[in-house]
Amino acid sequence: MMKLTRRAALAGAAMALCLAAGGTAMAQETFKVGTINPYSGPLALYGGEVNRGYELAADAVNEAGGILGRQVEILKGDATNPQEGIAAVERLATRENADAFIGTYLSAVAGAASETALNYNKLYWDTNALATNLTERGLPNYIRSGPYSVSFADVSIDLILNSLAARLGKQPGDLTVWLEHEESVYGTSIAEHQKERLEAAGVKVLGIGAHSYKSIDLTDSVLRARDANPDIWVQTGYVPDGNLLLRTARDQGFKPKATVFVGTGDTKETLEAMGADGVEGLLVVSYPRPDISEDYGPGSKAYLEAYRAKYGEDPIAPQSMAAFVGFKIMAQAINKAGSAEPEAVSGVLGSFDEPLRTYETGFGAKFDDNKQNQRAYPTVIQWQGGKQVTVFPDDAAGDNKMVNIGN
Amino acid sequence: METFLNIVIVGLLLGGIYGLVSMGLNLIFGVVRIVNFAQGELVMLGMYGAYLSWYLLGLDPYLSALVVVPCLFVLGVIIQRFVLQPLQNEPSMQIFATFGLLILFQNIVLAITRGTGYSVHSEVSRVVLSFEDINISLSRLIVLIMVILVAVGANWFLHSTMYGKAVRAVTQDRRSARLMGINVELAFMLTFGVGSALAGLAGVLLAPIYTLSPQIGGNFILAAFAVVVLGGLGSVWGAFFGGFIIGLIEAFAGYYLNPELKHAIWFLVFIAVLIVRPGGLFGIAGAEEVGLREQD
Amino acid sequence: MNKTDGQAMPAALAGNGATMRPKVTTFGTELGRIGAIGVFFAIFIVLFRGDPFILNMMAYTFLFAALSTSWNIIGGFGGQFSLGHGVFFAIGAYTTANLYFHWQISPWLSLVPGMILAAMVAVAVSWPTFRLKGPFFAIATLALNEVALVLATYFDGITGGPRGMLLPFKAGLENMVFTSRLPYAVIMFGFLLVSLVAAAWVLRGRLGYYLQAVHLDEDAARAAGIDVLKVKLTGMAVSAALTGIGGSLFAMYLRFVDPPTVLSIQDIGVKFLLIALIGGVGTLYGPLLGALLIIPLESYLRATLGGTIPGINLLILGGLLVIFALFMRRGIFGAMQGLWERRRGARQ
Repeated sequence: MMKLTRRAALAGAAMALCLAAGGTAMAQETFKVGTINPYSGPLALYGGEVNRGYELAADAVNEAGGILGRQVEILKGDATNPQEGIAAVERLATRENADAFIGTYLSAVAGAASETALNYNKLYWDTNALATNLTERGLPNYIRSGPYSVSFADVSIDLILNSLAARLGKQPGDLTVWLEHEESVYGTSIAEHQKERLEAAGVKVLGIGAHSYKSIDLTDSVLRARDANPDIWVQTGYVPDGNLLLRTARDQGFKPKATVFVGTGDTKETLEAMGADGVEGLLVVSYPRPDISEDYGPGSKAYLEAYRAKYGEDPIAPQSMAAFVGFKIMAQAINKAGSAEPEAVSGVLGSFDEPLRTYETGFGAKFDDNKQNQRAYPTVIQWQGGKQVTVFPDDAAGDNKMVNIGN
Repeated sequence: METFLNIVIVGLLLGGIYGLVSMGLNLIFGVVRIVNFAQGELVMLGMYGAYLSWYLLGLDPYLSALVVVPCLFVLGVIIQRFVLQPLQNEPSMQIFATFGLLILFQNIVLAITRGTGYSVHSEVSRVVLSFEDINISLSRLIVLIMVILVAVGANWFLHSTMYGKAVRAVTQDRRSARLMGINVELAFMLTFGVGSALAGLAGVLLAPIYTLSPQIGGNFILAAFAVVVLGGLGSVWGAFFGGFIIGLIEAFAGYYLNPELKHAIWFLVFIAVLIVRPGGLFGIAGAEEVGLREQD
Repeated sequence: MNKTDGQAMPAALAGNGATMRPKVTTFGTELGRIGAIGVFFAIFIVLFRGDPFILNMMAYTFLFAALSTSWNIIGGFGGQFSLGHGVFFAIGAYTTANLYFHWQISPWLSLVPGMILAAMVAVAVSWPTFRLKGPFFAIATLALNEVALVLATYFDGITGGPRGMLLPFKAGLENMVFTSRLPYAVIMFGFLLVSLVAAAWVLRGRLGYYLQAVHLDEDAARAAGIDVLKVKLTGMAVSAALTGIGGSLFAMYLRFVDPPTVLSIQDIGVKFLLIALIGGVGTLYGPLLGALLIIPLESYLRATLGGTIPGINLLILGGLLVIFALFMRRGIFGAMQGLWERRRGARQ
């Protein structure tokens, strides 16, 4: 009996492994970029959106001659958790001969995937992961061109100190804030940095509330915030919990003088949940949108048109444009270095000194010692009449004006 | 005092949500004796059914129950007949199969929607009843009323109709029920159908409250299991009061202690109660053994 | 009707255990078989030593085969359908990660405290929960997993909280950190052998017979003089200790530990059970078969379809799981056994 078992096990295992080994590599004529993102699971929408940015960038780069003279080819690597990140990089590096990697909507995936890429001495370029510790590792192949959690926290606090305080007619010392955040690494690290900066500026943080983005009920969180009666309610989270908080705040009559959402809340998912009047005046710190002023993000209109032409709809979330810009900076860096080797690319990073407002998102490019781009910032939109209007920083806003808050 | 009262109301409304989601699970768990991991996904399908009815037919979500609930009933009958009944002798494989269904349903919806967070529109969901400092969202109040109606209805049905009595007979002793001429397979199919229809009803009524996502069922399912077990297996009033108990614990723990820990607190309470009263609060003593007793 | 009709979970042994197995083997025989399996896979590893992709998949498959084998000791032999093994897995992972991160203690050494801690926690939480039976026990252990998730997120002093613990990349045998995938495949393979031997030792020893007796009929076992609680607790401790090792190895394989990764219900806790079920729950080699099927299948579907329509790979996986359940009601092992019996019957 056991003989049969073993024989069958052998056959089964061999078959499964052969199947997996099926996609063998072709001749090396294109420059292959493995794009590591969640393309299934709960974050599939955003992973897919980021990848659209890469595809558009690949089109643009190919038109301009490609990378190292080769046409760019995108290879998707689906990863919803760190172990899948490892598997995806292994597969793309060995089976598909990927030349470089780019990602990542999920920070946890970025960590494991970039270390695996290092085993093959491949570049791992990050455009969207937010966790601070990714660049602090000092990994030789890890470069981040997009904003990270500190940038998001910074912009939200700049908004409060430089714009909202004055609008509410208060000195920072008289201002009160409630910080709400979802409890994973993303919300927690942004909220911690926000608290630090607010307290340094003398703003009173009345409380910090954490919740799970899977919560069925957030009335307790809203009541705690409401009963503290803050001037400004700041929330960092995902779409489902953000929508539930907004609904509950409306039902519970919680009307702070200003509400600032960080990360999400600027998409039609929130508009549909709340209706135009339900989101009116809401401020959202997020990736720069394609409708920022052409002055701040040169080429953003062209990007929007390219997106519409390729996908037949408007971008669902603004993440894609940051991905697009990141991919373009990566192409520049590799071409400048003349090689996709991590050492060579890291070597030319120092020569990047593009001022803010160089790229479509308003980013510049200036990398610090940890290979983090110091000139990548989110922007702030405000919902006005069912439209997202970029209102901060002032140069991104152009002629747009903030409404409904204070004077 | 007002805050206290407010928290009580928040807890009761939340308990209504938990109770409604648990009703169908309780029926299936209690009668067919299947740990249906896919129950949350049936709720999710009910929500998307409400969205689809609104999107295609322009139906108000509350009216769409007329379409969605029968559809879910049929789906439940199909699942029982073609997936679970063939596995009747392999209860652990039934668990496996419901897990397969969970993955299947989630990803069918994900593949179709790309995972975009839809919302269902209803004028009702904007109405808030205010008394002094206490605010009650009408859509949550409807859930609370509906769970009372379902509990009363189910109780009447199980105790006052022939079919209900047959179901109770099957629950208590399958072998004797079969000997009494009850078609056990048919009873299971209809029970699973009704359990699934109740999940659909819950989905429809919850759709205006939440942002829809293919994974949303998972947010309900653990709580629903806890409610069912806490209240008592197969006891209608058990699921009813179990929902309120958990809702109240969550509301109080969330407001007065710490929202981060509220789930740990009610899970621990749940485990503690279970250990003291393994049959659940409203279960018949020894009900937990029924699940193990060999039955023909 | 069949005599097992309606018998509630866990019924794993009812049809495929002692009743159908032609004759009971000894621990020595099983050791021989495990040795043969070992030689076979060792050859496999040698053949594919230059292919990191296959090696990585092997490492992951072996890890889950071993974890599922460990789960099977209490879940299969003992019939206690724990859905809370993710807790013991996480304890192993966090113990190793902490000792390595804060005190640079070699993961090889921290396997032991991880094991002990996992076993201790297992006994402590199982003591009360073993009062529950069947689905009630399963749901209570599922709840334990959720409690652990909340606590691991909250007590960031020990766990790094939601930020998790990123372990420094310092390659070296003593750190259990390697640039190549080969050592990982070998380590996971070793873990698989250890857990198979442990499972065989339990199954063919006194504890195994006690566990199976408790599984089949707790009251009868008690009447026969078996200390039911002690047997269940011992089985759980062994199972949890092995699961703890798995957690430690996983932590070093990922070099990253955070609550949603190690306490995921779908990717960790329930997976042990799914793999055992599809392979043949309560049988010694069933979990290995299950892992050999599910893990490569999952990666294959993700690799080929993961980038096309969102979720299509899992959609197909879910459908396949339902079909497997329908056509292999007692797992791969049971199906093979049935096939074997039929062939033998035809020959006679």
